[in-house]
Order: sequence, then structure tokens, then C-alpha cells
Amino acid sequence: MAKLLLYLTLATSLIPLFSVAFSPENPTDRRVLVLVDDFAIKSSHSLYFGSLTSRGFQLEFKLADDPNIGLQRYGQYLYDALVLFCPSVERFGGSIDVASIVDFVDSGHDLIVAADSNASDLIREVATECGVDFDEDPAAMVIDHINYAVSNFDGDHTLIASDDFIKADVILGSKKIEAPVLFQGIGHSLNPANSLVLKVLSASSSAYSANPKSKLSNPPSLTGSAISLVSVVQARNNARILITGSLSMFSNRHEKSGNEQFLTEISKWVFHERGHLKAVNVRHHKVGESDEPAIYRINDDLEYSVEIYEWSGTSWEPYVSDDVQVQFYMMSPYVLKTLSTDQKGHYSAEFKVPDVYGVFQFKVEYQRLGYTSLSLSKQIPVRPYRHNEYERFLPAAYPYYGSAFSMMAGFFIFTIVHLYSK
Amino acid sequence: MARSTGKDAQALFHSLRSAYAATPTTLKIIDLYVGFAVFTALIQVVYMAIVGSFPFNSFLSGVLSCVGTAVLAVCLRIQVNKDNKEFKDLPPERAFADFVLCNLVLHLVIMNFLG
Repeated sequence: MAKLLLYLTLATSLIPLFSVAFSPENPTDRRVLVLVDDFAIKSSHSLYFGSLTSRGFQLEFKLADDPNIGLQRYGQYLYDALVLFCPSVERFGGSIDVASIVDFVDSGHDLIVAADSNASDLIREVATECGVDFDEDPAAMVIDHINYAVSNFDGDHTLIASDDFIKADVILGSKKIEAPVLFQGIGHSLNPANSLVLKVLSASSSAYSANPKSKLSNPPSLTGSAISLVSVVQARNNARILITGSLSMFSNRHEKSGNEQFLTEISKWVFHERGHLKAVNVRHHKVGESDEPAIYRINDDLEYSVEIYEWSGTSWEPYVSDDVQVQFYMMSPYVLKTLSTDQKGHYSAEFKVPDVYGVFQFKVEYQRLGYTSLSLSKQIPVRPYRHNEYERFLPAAYPYYGSAFSMMAGFFIFTIVHLYSK
Repeated sequence: MARSTGKDAQALFHSLRSAYAATPTTLKIIDLYVGFAVFTALIQVVYMAIVGSFPFNSFLSGVLSCVGTAVLAVCLRIQVNKDNKEFKDLPPERAFADFVLCNLVLHLVIMNFLG
């Protein structure tokens, strides 16, 4: 009995240790599983991995077909993020497959997928699940005869330079990336109907995707800036995915290019070190009071307030913006007001309850490029006037009041006259 | 033709006046009361036509108090008139008591609806 108690206390005391890694209070990922084709990548891409470990990530390197790998055990995920640097893997080992990777992302975890010119069908399938279509020709690479990088190999212009970045400071950092990014690999295209995928780095308009070793027999299907070199996806559950067609972009080869700054900044975004919002402390009350009523009356003046914070990588900073809006919603927004901020993360707005009764919701729907989406809603009923809350003694009705009283007086006088006249 | 109709109208008017002068004073007092009530109701309708019907319940209450009490006064006149063979057996006190009671109920309702 005592032994059982001992084991129980031991087990429960270890639980907090497991929850330090990734929680709503600390949204940056901590434990990252990196799947590679062979361990030479550890040294050839050491600068990139070094930048990750210097920011506090715990990287675990495993071969992609290692039979012991698994993303979760007994229903709990072992890692917060997954990095697939294994473009030529045919079959994952252990318990990982495309479905388990999709479940991993669906549960809110982040993913980086890097394909290359020898990308297997499995990696292409993973990318398609995320909303990105690599060029179907397995031997095709992105070629650009105008914006290619001059290098020792000087051959087929497959090492291209591009600086067509997405304009989002949240994703790429506020410092401008001066040097172009060098890329050598396959390109992908995005479905224009997909609203969750963003092109972070697109090829220039002179690029096309074709096999560099053979002559072009028919025009290439992917051309120009429709080719995306690096894309990100922010899913509706705020999981972030980075997909790119060049593993060599991450390698140590390219100094003096914008690769290092570009990849550092975009990794910060993918691993939730930037652009992660949380909204807390939703409050509403009648103007002049401070406690939250359970029901409002039509034509009441009320005030709604919320606090929004942004994760800076180490702490929650106030989020300052002037376009957060609140809706007073019942099947359609009756009131839509922009919240004003006090620059310290506190947003508030005052408005009058509309002249309609029913069950309303305070809704804040905030979706901005690169930021997590906020979707808050709080239900509140609104009642009509009570019978003694209507206006009385209206000046417009004084003639009617006067006539009613004069009729009563007239009736009284008439009865006296009628009774006492002969 | 016009002059004869004009003379006929004048003769009609005169005969009406003399016939009315013959009615008892009690009935004349009741007629005065009815006239006052209808006049008050007319004033309110003209006011509503000018200003609009915003506190409609107040308008209805005011007009209905005038019209209701006029109707009750007319009923009193019918029942109290000695020339009326239908109500020969009805004591005039009973008619007056009915009038007073109905008016009390009417004015109670009016005060409630006045808003």
C-alpha cells in the first residue's frame, strides 16, 4: 500500500515537467524532431541548426526510416514541432506516416517540410496534404536564366536568386533582407482558392520549372511568379507549416546571401516566436457600473473591453493595433465598432444596445496576415422595456391628458347640475 | 326656385328652433354636455392631424374618454325623456345611477391607458 502511494506521488510530481514544453502560456515550441536522410545533414546544415539551438530549441535528429521513431506515445505528443529534411525518403519508419503527420498538424503543432530535386512521392504527398502542389515532373527544377547565382559550377542556372518576398513584417521580421535568397530545387504552386497558404518567396517572372538536363519539348506548366519557392500555411487551429523545395537553401554553402537572415526570421515565425496573439479578460458592463450584468435592456449604454497580447519569444507584450473590431451579433451584426486602445494591450469600445431584443453575442473576429486568428464570442440576452420603464408625461401628449381630466371634471359638474336642477 | 328653397330653409330652421325651445331644461343640459364632449374630441383629432400620432395610446385614451362619455350621456337622455314610450317604466334615478357607474368604469380605464 505504501509502495503504491510512493509510486503515485512520484508519477504525479513528474507531470508538471512534461507540460513545460508547449502550453498556451508559453507558445514557442521547444522539442523539435528533425528527420533526415543521413546524418551528414547535421554538419552541412550546422549553421541553421545552430541558430535554432541557440534560441533554446531541443533538436532531436533521427533517420527518416528509423524504426523507433514516433510522434506520440500513449496519446501524448512527444514533440512540439517536426522538421522533415528528408526529401528522398520512400517510407517513414516507426509509427510515422502521412496520416500521423496530418494529425500532428491538426492538433496544433508546427511543421517544416523541405523537398529537393530528388523528392520522393511521400514528401510530395505530405506537401499536397498541406495545400501545396510541387511540379509533377520528378526531374524538374526551377531554372532562371536571368536571376541565377554566379558560382563555381556555372552550369544550368538552377541555383537562382530571388528577392520577391511577401510584404509582412510579422513573418519576415522588421529588418529588410538586403541580399537575395539563393535557391536550388523544385518549385511549387498554390491553389488560388486556398486562403490559408501564403507565398513567402516567389520566383521572378523569368523563372520556369523544367528538367535542366533535357531539351524542352513543350512549354513548362509552371512559369514566372506563379512558382512559389517558399510557402507558409497558417491553419485555422493556428498551426504553422513551412514548405520549400530546396533543402540546400538551409545549408552552410550560401554565405553573403540573404538565406541566413531569411531562414532565421521565418523559423521564428513558424515556431511561434512571433505573431502569436492571445486575447484575455473579455469584460462588458453598463457604462457607469463595473460588474457584469446577466442581461441587458434595449437602449442601454454598455462598454466592452478585451486585452490582447503578443508573444515576443520570451514574454507577452501588449499588442497595439487600430483595427480590432467588436460585433454585437444576432444572425447579423447589429453594431460593428472599432475598439480603441490605450497602447498597453487594453481595447475597449462603448456603444448603445440596438432597439431589438433577443440573444446577442459579442464577437471579435480578428484575422490578419501572419498573426494567429482570434475568434472570441460571448453570449448575452437583451430584454425589452418593462411595463414601468417606458417614458411618461410626454410633453407631446399634454392635450390628451388635459382632455381626459377636463372630461372627468365636466362629468362631475354635470352630475351636480343634473341632480339639483328642476 | 332658389328663393323658394332659401325661404323653405329659413322656415325649416325657425320651426326647429321653436320645437327645440319646447324641450325640458334637463334634456337641454344633457345636450350641452354631449356637445362639449364632441367638441373636445374634435380638438384632439385636429391636434393629432397636425403633430402626428406619437403617443398613440394617449391619443386613443383622450378621444375615447370624450366619445365614451358622450355615448353614455345620450343613453341617459333617451332613458330620462318622458316622451319616450319605450322607457316609461324605468325610473329616472335608475337611469342616472347606471350613467354614473358606467362613467366611473370608463374613466378608470382611461386613466390606465393614458400612459
